[in-house]
Amino acid sequence: MPETATQERQAAVADPGAAVTAEQRLRAHVETLERRLRKRDDQRRAMLHIMGDLSEFNKRLANQRKAMLHVLADYEQDRRRLARQTERLDSSRRALLHILQDSHQDKLRLEASRKAMIHIMGDLRETTAEMQRREQELRDKQEQLVQAGKLATLGELTTGVAHELNNPLNNIGLFVGNAVDLIELAVTEKGQIVRELGHAMQQVSKATEIISHLRTFGRAAPVSREPISLRQVIERALSLMREQLRLREIEVTVDLGLEEPVVLGNAIQLEQVFINLLTNARDAVAEAPRKAIRIACSTGSGAVDVSLADSGHGIPPGLERRIFDPFFTTKEVGKGTGLGLSITYGIINEHGGTISVVSPPGEGATFLIHLPLAPAETEETSR
Amino acid sequence: MTTTLSVLIVDDDPALLQALPQALRLRMGGVTVETAESAAAALERIAVQDYDAIVTDIKMPGMDGLALLAEIRTRRPDTPTLIITGHGENELVVRALRGGACDFIQKPIDRGYFVAALYRAIWAHVQNRKAKDRQLALESCAEELERIVQKLEREPRAVSGRAES
Repeated sequence: MPETATQERQAAVADPGAAVTAEQRLRAHVETLERRLRKRDDQRRAMLHIMGDLSEFNKRLANQRKAMLHVLADYEQDRRRLARQTERLDSSRRALLHILQDSHQDKLRLEASRKAMIHIMGDLRETTAEMQRREQELRDKQEQLVQAGKLATLGELTTGVAHELNNPLNNIGLFVGNAVDLIELAVTEKGQIVRELGHAMQQVSKATEIISHLRTFGRAAPVSREPISLRQVIERALSLMREQLRLREIEVTVDLGLEEPVVLGNAIQLEQVFINLLTNARDAVAEAPRKAIRIACSTGSGAVDVSLADSGHGIPPGLERRIFDPFFTTKEVGKGTGLGLSITYGIINEHGGTISVVSPPGEGATFLIHLPLAPAETEETSR
Repeated sequence: MTTTLSVLIVDDDPALLQALPQALRLRMGGVTVETAESAAAALERIAVQDYDAIVTDIKMPGMDGLALLAEIRTRRPDTPTLIITGHGENELVVRALRGGACDFIQKPIDRGYFVAALYRAIWAHVQNRKAKDRQLALESCAEELERIVQKLEREPRAVSGRAES
């Protein structure tokens, strides 16, 4: 443009007419320029506005970007958390799967168990029946055992009893022989002969008593329950054992008190209890310096307590419980069957009683029997 | 055996102590029978009297027949002792015989056998005593002879000594 103005000024100088037109043209040009300038100024201002807005916008954008970055970080965190949760979920799913599998197996097993259970129930029913049969068998065997024990006791008693029987038999022979001699010698005095025969008769009744008692004891009588006098039972047992105890110099003390205890039971069985205990006591005191057996009896309300104490060496500690076991014996082989005390235990048990033993160190053993008394109304029919 | 015989019977059964002495009195005329109910009582009797024979039961409470037999052997070694045993007690019989019993009688007692055994025991005892007496007499004779022989031996020596001088 300056070049153009320069050129026009040069032209104006060269041509004055032309100078006026040129001036006009220049004026118009300046006006255009001024217009343009104004326009450009407006544009510049608008531009400045826009620039301000832009900067504002830019600032906002920067803020938004920061916010966006925050959001992104949060998002990243969330994503990671999510990933972890997914992982956890996945393992839970796997665990669940396992559990499901297990539960399935459990179900199968349960089913099998149920089936087995049904079998077992069936077996159990059979076993119960078998048990009942066995129990009956056992009861029968127990009865046989009691009988066997009785016979064993009888066998043991025989030696003593044979001696006891031999004496009256021997005496009978002598008395009768004397009577025969007196008759053969033609002794006229009858009294002497009668005296000899009378002595013989006494010995006969003594022998008869022993034999009849043995027979009652050995008989396999059905086990009946009736009111019986305990005093009589103890005395009868003692009468069978007396000879053996006497020959061994065993001092026997009997204190049955003033009461007449009556129990509901079997006389023979209870007699066996006391024979067994006396036999035991007899063997227990065999080596003792003082040989004594003491039987005491005390009657309380509804029950009677009998104690049988010996002066032997007692029972070694720890064996108190075992001595009532069948076939348990501390005696030498061939000396004891190991049945005596177990049978005794069984009999007392059957009579609703208890038997126990105490053996303080350094003292003999004491057997304690506790038996319920017979109900009062049945006592009338005793004996 | 013209003098009256005396016998001691030891048993703990009073009935036997009635029956057996009576049987002996009936079967052995003029015999004196004494009884003792225990070994202890028997020892008291033995201390004061020398019996021709003692009969004792083997099974007795307290001191039994075997122990009594041993006592008799020390106190009256010459008195024949018979033992009464139950039937079949062979072991006791052997122990009694080893302990110095001269015989044994089994229960139930056979009276004939018993009397014979008792006679035999007493006779053996008497014979034994006689034999001992004779042995004593013989021994004294032998001693006498010995003395005579010694005396005779000394005399010829004295004679010969005189002849030499």
